[in-house]
Amino acid sequence: MTWQRLLQALGKTLAALTIAAFVGYLVVYVVYAVALFRWPFDYDQGEGFELYDAILFSHGEWPYRDNSTYPFYASNYPPLFHLLIVPLLPLFGPRLIAGRLVSFLATLVTAGTIGLVVRRRVGGWFMPIVSGLAFLASNYVYQIGPLCRLHMTMVMFEALAIAFIAEFDHPQHGKRNLALGIFFLLCAGYTKQLAVFTVGAALSFVFLRDVKKAILSAIVLALVAGAVFVVFNAATDGQWWVNIIDANVNEFDYRQTLAIFGQWFRLHAVLVLLAIAYLGYELFWGRLSAYSLWFAFSLGTGALSGKWGAGFGYFTTAVAAACLASGLALGSLKLVLEKRQAGERAPRPVAGDGAGGQFRRGAAWLLAALSATLPVLIPALYLAQAPRMLHLPTSGPVFGPVARGLGVSDSHVQGACATFDYHDSMGYTQLGHLLTAEDYAAGERILEYVRTADGPAFSEEAAFSLLAGQPVVTNPTQLLNLYKNGQLDTTEMVERIYDQEFGVAVFRAQFYPPPVLEAVGQNYRVVEHVCMNGFYYILMQPLRNLEATPSE
Amino acid sequence: MITKRQLGFLLAAIALLFVVGIVAVDMLGAGKWGGFGPLQRIGIAIGAAGVVVGAILIRIGDRPA
Repeated sequence: MTWQRLLQALGKTLAALTIAAFVGYLVVYVVYAVALFRWPFDYDQGEGFELYDAILFSHGEWPYRDNSTYPFYASNYPPLFHLLIVPLLPLFGPRLIAGRLVSFLATLVTAGTIGLVVRRRVGGWFMPIVSGLAFLASNYVYQIGPLCRLHMTMVMFEALAIAFIAEFDHPQHGKRNLALGIFFLLCAGYTKQLAVFTVGAALSFVFLRDVKKAILSAIVLALVAGAVFVVFNAATDGQWWVNIIDANVNEFDYRQTLAIFGQWFRLHAVLVLLAIAYLGYELFWGRLSAYSLWFAFSLGTGALSGKWGAGFGYFTTAVAAACLASGLALGSLKLVLEKRQAGERAPRPVAGDGAGGQFRRGAAWLLAALSATLPVLIPALYLAQAPRMLHLPTSGPVFGPVARGLGVSDSHVQGACATFDYHDSMGYTQLGHLLTAEDYAAGERILEYVRTADGPAFSEEAAFSLLAGQPVVTNPTQLLNLYKNGQLDTTEMVERIYDQEFGVAVFRAQFYPPPVLEAVGQNYRVVEHVCMNGFYYILMQPLRNLEATPSE
Repeated sequence: MITKRQLGFLLAAIALLFVVGIVAVDMLGAGKWGGFGPLQRIGIAIGAAGVVVGAILIRIGDRPA
């Protein structure tokens, strides 16, 4: 067997292993998603509130309200994700699966978009498939992808916008692509405000190629987005501005940003380095593409991860952009080398014998070596990336033996009150593990408190109230943000707590303004701590109930 | 169409403005750190990198960016 055949065989073996590794991640992702579809309670704090926003929209009501008056609830997000959930509500009822399904599908569309763009630009099957699957294999995407949270839907619209904007100078479909790109940018922005960095990337790309079109596009986008903004603000008596803008001005901790930045790089090192190399190549030697610019601007999105309430999710746009740019980098390198090889078969003038000739011969030898080893190098790079993102359950009939084979069977995630058989190369994480029978029992126990309460629940999570058919009262982080910014009057809320109008209080993180926590502490007493999903849920009942009940 | 040189000038100008803004924060007395804070140091490093990249692009010339 010649060395070329040996390299070819090795390349094919590594490529098969790479596909197997990333398909394995896909299986883990689907298992986790299906487990979450069945879970009726909040898995991540905030899921229930996003579902409630959709329910309000389905009733023709705005979720942008005065937080100082009962039920002290408002949303701090734009409406598009919640509107996408609305058509699913008749199918699933007011259940979190509706939102989780939308978000999960959004991640699949994003992965598909990455794959399609890579396929269109560099051809073949391996690079497109692996680039798309790498996105779904990211620890960040895995953890938040199937949650009833809007972030991944924003990333989907961002990816679609970039895919269309990148082709705005297409000779036949240029205008259509630009219009669709702007439309998806608008969708991304009205899913989550954070999409502003992708808007910057898209318009910068158009600006580099066609200044006039860029200015026109920016004007059109600003006019449409601005008009929608003004209409929403007028329709909600100014509550849109308070809840979407003012409530999102939070404390910033640069150390949190640096820590997440480091973690993002450590987890996705190969993809990120390839994307940086692609950006550098296009910046200095080639021509900047929308994809490279998206990657560069997405780091700005990540930089905001130091905001209070933000986290690693802010890097999912950067993960998508890195998967796309790294696929294009390797695919383009392969194409360039193939073209060069084809060119070298044609007769060429012989290089001279001087130093220049020696250099050219050396360079030609290096390129030939790179060209020959590339079929091995590309899958090897992805195989080097795969274990960096390792995450999987470590018990069960399938995952148990796999975890043993990978040497992580002893890994556990330690919650505040429970241990989960789950390994994640991120280290400690609140998300990602599968739920247990004890968690279901704990959820039912908390729900029973809410169902039997003689007044609405003052709950830090909305799912309990929704499942019990009770009104959703308060959105704690929204209240806390506004309180910190001096824009919340807690008088009515505190009065109602003093009147013990709420039948039960359910706390987890206690993200309420201090006067509210103080009032609850003075008028409600802890009756039980329930361990669910690794967290202690504190259940409190009004003192009036406890005074009426003879002590045991 | 924007050239590498034009992009270089634009990038260097933005980076310089960024650096000036960071230094001006102290003159205006904003920020919670006494003297030059860690965020400012990070900002200056990013600004300096922007100026260097801009200068390289200016030297590359009139190729399309």
